[in-house]
Amino acid sequence: MSARESVRVAGEAGSIDVSALPSTTFGHRALTWWGTVGFMAAEGTTLIVCAVAYLYVQRNFQVWPPRETPLPSLTAATVQILLMAASVPVMVWTSRAARRFDLAGVRRGMVLSTVFALAFCVLRWFELHALNTRWDSNAYGSTAWAIVFAHATLLIAQFFESGAMAALLFLGPVEPKHFADVDDSCLYWYFMTGAWLVLYLLVFISPRL
Amino acid sequence: MTAPITADPESVPAAARPGVRELHDQLERVWNDGPGLRGWLMSTDHKSLGKRYVITAFVFFLLGGVEAAMIRAQLARPENGLIGPDLYNQLFTMHGTTMMFLFAVPVMTAMSLYLVPLMIGSRDLAFPRLNAYGYYVYLLGGLFLYTSFFLNVGPDAGWFAYTPLSGPAYGVGKRVDVWAQTITFTEIAGIIAAIELIATIFKQRAPGMSLNRMPLFVWSALVMAFMILFAMPWVAVDSQFLAMDRLIGTHFFNQAEGGDALLWQHLFWFFGHPEVYIIFIPALGFVSTIIATFTRREIFGYPAMVLSLVATGFLGFGLWVHHMFATNIPQMGESFFTAASAMIAIPTGVQFFCWIATIWGGRPRFATPFLFILGFFAVFIIGGLSGVMIASVPFDLQVHDTFFIVAHLHYVLLGGGVFPLFAAFYYWFPKVTGRMLSERLGKWNFALFFIGVNVAFFPMHLLGLHGMPRRVYTYLAGTGWGDLNLVATIGAVTIFVSVVIFLVNVARSLANGELAGADPWGSSSTLEWATSSPPPSYNFAHLPVVEGRYPLWSRPIEPPVVTGLRTDERELLITTLLDARPDHRHRTPDPTIWPLLAALATGVTFIALIFTPWAAVVGGVLVIGPLVAWGWSKPKPGDPVIPEGVT
Repeated sequence: MSARESVRVAGEAGSIDVSALPSTTFGHRALTWWGTVGFMAAEGTTLIVCAVAYLYVQRNFQVWPPRETPLPSLTAATVQILLMAASVPVMVWTSRAARRFDLAGVRRGMVLSTVFALAFCVLRWFELHALNTRWDSNAYGSTAWAIVFAHATLLIAQFFESGAMAALLFLGPVEPKHFADVDDSCLYWYFMTGAWLVLYLLVFISPRL
Repeated sequence: MTAPITADPESVPAAARPGVRELHDQLERVWNDGPGLRGWLMSTDHKSLGKRYVITAFVFFLLGGVEAAMIRAQLARPENGLIGPDLYNQLFTMHGTTMMFLFAVPVMTAMSLYLVPLMIGSRDLAFPRLNAYGYYVYLLGGLFLYTSFFLNVGPDAGWFAYTPLSGPAYGVGKRVDVWAQTITFTEIAGIIAAIELIATIFKQRAPGMSLNRMPLFVWSALVMAFMILFAMPWVAVDSQFLAMDRLIGTHFFNQAEGGDALLWQHLFWFFGHPEVYIIFIPALGFVSTIIATFTRREIFGYPAMVLSLVATGFLGFGLWVHHMFATNIPQMGESFFTAASAMIAIPTGVQFFCWIATIWGGRPRFATPFLFILGFFAVFIIGGLSGVMIASVPFDLQVHDTFFIVAHLHYVLLGGGVFPLFAAFYYWFPKVTGRMLSERLGKWNFALFFIGVNVAFFPMHLLGLHGMPRRVYTYLAGTGWGDLNLVATIGAVTIFVSVVIFLVNVARSLANGELAGADPWGSSSTLEWATSSPPPSYNFAHLPVVEGRYPLWSRPIEPPVVTGLRTDERELLITTLLDARPDHRHRTPDPTIWPLLAALATGVTFIALIFTPWAAVVGGVLVIGPLVAWGWSKPKPGDPVIPEGVT
């Protein structure tokens, strides 16, 4: 039994006893959800800045991509998009497991998310090469690399976060708040994969249009 | 009328209320950072870190001021040989960078980080460890900049580091790299502060403090935080692009390879103009709070005030191109940004009229904080009017890059930022330290500051109109600019004396100032004045329940409070976003050393990145360890734990 405030310093009418309120909640009720959304907003803005730079320098080129620069190859990037699409239902399932405090479920979910994130990072390496240009070739190369690399930092961070959370869930001790953390991680996952869909269309598809 | 919601433990006779002393002692044990240097380094208390943040920012203000004094000494007479062009370039760059990135924005976020939890009736910020990390990252960024400066590697391309001057072709050496990386440090700290403030304001307000009862300062902190969140990533990415152009040969700003020097300006000013409002908007919150206290009146037109703050936040993002009227922007674009620049005067004007209406019907008490607010009115209005002038393209083209712009920006930033900040220092100093500042020295401080600012900066309007360009280290006697420059330098000396008086005032107060008590002004309306001065580590023994927009003015003698939070753990009450109804309890983490270590690892990484891109890989690995340790919590007795095998 934990200690609680029982002594009143002042006041009676209208006072509120909060001892019966829950200590773990999910979604926008939870403080950590707002932290996650805040970081999504900041990181989303950095991706937008990279995209703005990519679109802005286009006006300095007569053809896009520049002459003698092949179009980006699609294989690795398309596999990546498909794998990301496949990962989303897994994370939805993990989120549901978290919300019903299903320890075995979230353990499985976070192991899978670690594996997915690792696969995303490996594929990202191939995607960078699939751009068929270098960061120091010209402004097209610089801005395309900036977009893909900036998003790669999200993937790397997510790999370490998923891995650390999976380790925590196995090594414990596990507290109810960790289920809310898993749920927030799933939310971040939707942002990470959704953002890449837009950036994939911009970097790999739009030069073909 | 004013009854303590949460009594100072000293003021409640223990015998009269058995158990009260024990409650305070128990909360103190749980919320105290612990003794000695270890406790200080591990602190996650928003008040302890907030004080460090404000003091650090003020030290940078003093350093930026010394640089300004050196600039003014050099310009005091024509063909002066005191400072050479190379050091002069570093001085004006360091002055601008320090004042904008290390003083003005951080001091406003710092004041918010200190005040907001107290004003909304909570015990700490939403993410206290993140707060510690943000502070240390900021501190390291500042130390890095000044260490570089003293090693003669100080940035020298101006505080907005325009390319191509700052690019690899012209900005040789590591000076610009130091600038770019300092920006990264400070922007990370700013974004972290913004996230903390948004989460805290949305979810930790005392029961009953619905959004439409929120103090105006808290509204201003909220708008500032949103602006930081969406503005600072622009300059963070922009400065990284510059660093990469310089380190690994990218071509973001290299016109020869399809890059664009104007891209730098767009990305910089998309941050840079909102930055002005990031400084100005919390200052508006200071003004509203202090006017309410010193006129003993509710602020006239609360909904209009809130809507004006929000409108300013939005409009602030639509003005950035007026910094670029001298570039090849299409005329249609110029017209749009002229209109937008003039339009922002509307919400600002609404707030001014609301303040005037408040003062008009009240009986103002002309204490030092209120005097600084009156100074704000005068100085900021002059800066605002010259702002409307340079919103006009033809006029702007005439005075672009002249001292007229220097005059304008100093009137706006000193008037709109520093005057309200000094007012806030005088107003909240008793709360933070428990001691009053001297009114007599405060009035000298104000008078000399007001005179000094006008004597220093008004002549610069005329110098600009006479054609004196900014950022020249000297000028010929035949230009006729010598007298006005000498006057400006005399003004700078006056400001210097005024700030020295402030420092003396602070030192005297800390040594033997008059004790403040919980509410020394006797007419304060916000919750921070309901707790002792300085506040205890846990802020409030019982969280208050709020029943009006000015909670201390409408309280019953026996005010309702919150009970039932744990006293053996750091627990916060989380309330609903709109109506602040109690929703759940949130355990907040204990002090730890890991944020400091993570910040050190981050700092080493950023500094090494100036020399090699591989630092990102090594540094990334360095940072991960502290971050994992930071997040790996250990439950305590009484915490719910999921037993093995539960599915």
